[in-house]
Amino acid sequence: MSDTPILQVENLSKFFPVQRGLLRRTVGHVKAVNDVSFAVNKGECLGLVGESGCGKTTVARCLLRLVEPDQGRILLHGEQQTFDIASASRKEMLDVRRQMQIIFQDPFSSLDPRWRVTDVIAEPLMAQKVGRGEAGRRVLEILPTVGLGPHFADRFPHELSGGERQRVSIARALIVSPPLVVADEPVSALDVSVRSQIINLLLDLQSQMNLTYVFIAHDLSIVKHISHRIAVMYLGRLVELGTTQQVFEDCKHPYTKALLASVLIPDPTHREQSYVLEGEVPSPLNPPSGCHFSTRCPFAQEQCSAEEPELRDMGGGHWVRCHFAEELDLSEEIFAPQFDTPTASN
Amino acid sequence: MPNSQPILEVHDLHVHFKMLAGIVRAVDGVDFTVERGRCLGIVGESGCGKSVTARSILRLLPSSDTSGQILYHPDGDGQPIDLVGLDAKGDAIRAIRGKDIAMIFQEPMTSLTPVYTIGEQIMESIRQHQNLSEEESQELAISMLNKVGIPDAERRFADYPHQMSGGMRQRVMIAIALCCEPRILIADEPTTALDVTIQAQILRLIRSLQQDLDMSVIMITHDLAVIAQLADFVVVMYLGQMAEKAPVVELFQDPKHPYTQALLRSIVRPDTPPREQLHSISGSVPDPRNAPSGCRFRNRCPSVHDRCVEDPPVVEFGPQHSATCWLYVDD
Repeated sequence: MSDTPILQVENLSKFFPVQRGLLRRTVGHVKAVNDVSFAVNKGECLGLVGESGCGKTTVARCLLRLVEPDQGRILLHGEQQTFDIASASRKEMLDVRRQMQIIFQDPFSSLDPRWRVTDVIAEPLMAQKVGRGEAGRRVLEILPTVGLGPHFADRFPHELSGGERQRVSIARALIVSPPLVVADEPVSALDVSVRSQIINLLLDLQSQMNLTYVFIAHDLSIVKHISHRIAVMYLGRLVELGTTQQVFEDCKHPYTKALLASVLIPDPTHREQSYVLEGEVPSPLNPPSGCHFSTRCPFAQEQCSAEEPELRDMGGGHWVRCHFAEELDLSEEIFAPQFDTPTASN
Repeated sequence: MPNSQPILEVHDLHVHFKMLAGIVRAVDGVDFTVERGRCLGIVGESGCGKSVTARSILRLLPSSDTSGQILYHPDGDGQPIDLVGLDAKGDAIRAIRGKDIAMIFQEPMTSLTPVYTIGEQIMESIRQHQNLSEEESQELAISMLNKVGIPDAERRFADYPHQMSGGMRQRVMIAIALCCEPRILIADEPTTALDVTIQAQILRLIRSLQQDLDMSVIMITHDLAVIAQLADFVVVMYLGQMAEKAPVVELFQDPKHPYTQALLRSIVRPDTPPREQLHSISGSVPDPRNAPSGCRFRNRCPSVHDRCVEDPPVVEFGPQHSATCWLYVDD
């Protein structure tokens, strides 16, 4: 892992228009991604977390221009040149996609049921104008890397289990040897016993091929396990960014704290740690004024609903969007116990 | 709370679906007891038969496919009722279903009908089982909505499901399930479709209602953390068979079945060293139509043995702890 950034996202915004009525008039915008900036260093794994509707998947799709960003720059530092993905031409995007690929969440809907595995995996090569013979050879080369035998090449997706399908998705992403891979919830659709296999595979591939990951997930324990740094989003805004240790052991934003505290611990003798955040994520169409989290924040003061806090550097690469980040005491005691602990005898 | 009277006993339950491609043994010999006021967790991966078990308790499956005994003990010293023997469309099961035993389904998006308001849907259950007037049942419905934490319940009463978020819809499902104060609540993956902060709210709600109403809960999930947080007693299932059952602390501290052991080792815990290889179970869950004979876990089991081709015995490790495995039987 190095400190040279491979990807720099600067002030990225994506607003989806909301249209109503007969004339499809635009009545407002969903600020799915609002002024988000972060960098990803070569060889690291950046985890992107948040609840549904926070904009994490939109960020991923903007990174690959699967949706058009409205504002901002996305700089990809390739081997030879630097691209601004947000304004790249079609021809440049072809080069970009050789350097960056995506793994989707649902292996049941992201593979074409009428295509054989070999065609699925070879498709990115076809787009890059690689010949059929060469593509077929490279597919057979990559199958063992993702833990599949050569006999899988001629199968159809319906013949595969969820874990095998996700391995095919990973092979499809890696076939063009991209240095950067965006993984959008790659394990959440899988069975528990298969999930750890795929996480191990992603970790293995990262060290073997010196990959850089942007890893999007809502399961915090998995994000903690795989990520070097973590970015937390809430209602389109980045609210905290720091190393895994900074975020998990010394988080400064009350939302991050609440998110961490709502993770259920798989240990029946520790039932006291959970804290329940009240209320729900407000509508992104009409987010609260000031700090978007102020309506649910247990520490909210007048200033919070009046003015929106800036993302501020707390030192050591730890960024927090909170007016009171320095003053808040987010230690365990303030969080109420949730479940009673059972006795060993019951 | 600690009165260990059984309220529901399931004995040797088998559910076999006859399909064109052959017989799918979705549930094959499941035994467990639900105690009054306690939470039983059923945990397993897809295809393990946990949802089929739940549906067979409420007789939501064809009678011809189900065999075994499901004994429901109503209040007092009354005779237990064998739910398997009841006509699935008869009055007897309809008086129990939704009244004594209620269920929350996984998908709050699809288990509410879009054409009625949530108020009407709650009142349907009330009017089915309780002899109340229109006003009284409306009053009860609104008080249930308040109880499950829906703000502004009088106004939300007239909302349609599409006007609510996933977490709110799941609260409505819980309100429908609880409006007749059931003795047993079956919750089939109640939080899988929800965000983590909402999951914590819903689980806390189920827990506090369980205590307030002295209700028994059957919590069905694939998530061991949910089990660890809520269950008193756990049944681990794999491909229709019961792998292990034990009190929750014993299961997490001293698992006996190789499947339970592997499952517990493969999850990420707070103290798992970062970025290290996780323990994993080789292969994936086979198609239930091609389940191996004998022990169904044998083709993935690290401790597999020649004997595993035969049906494994149930080995007892304590009054409430047993595992279905050859490992603990001497030749």
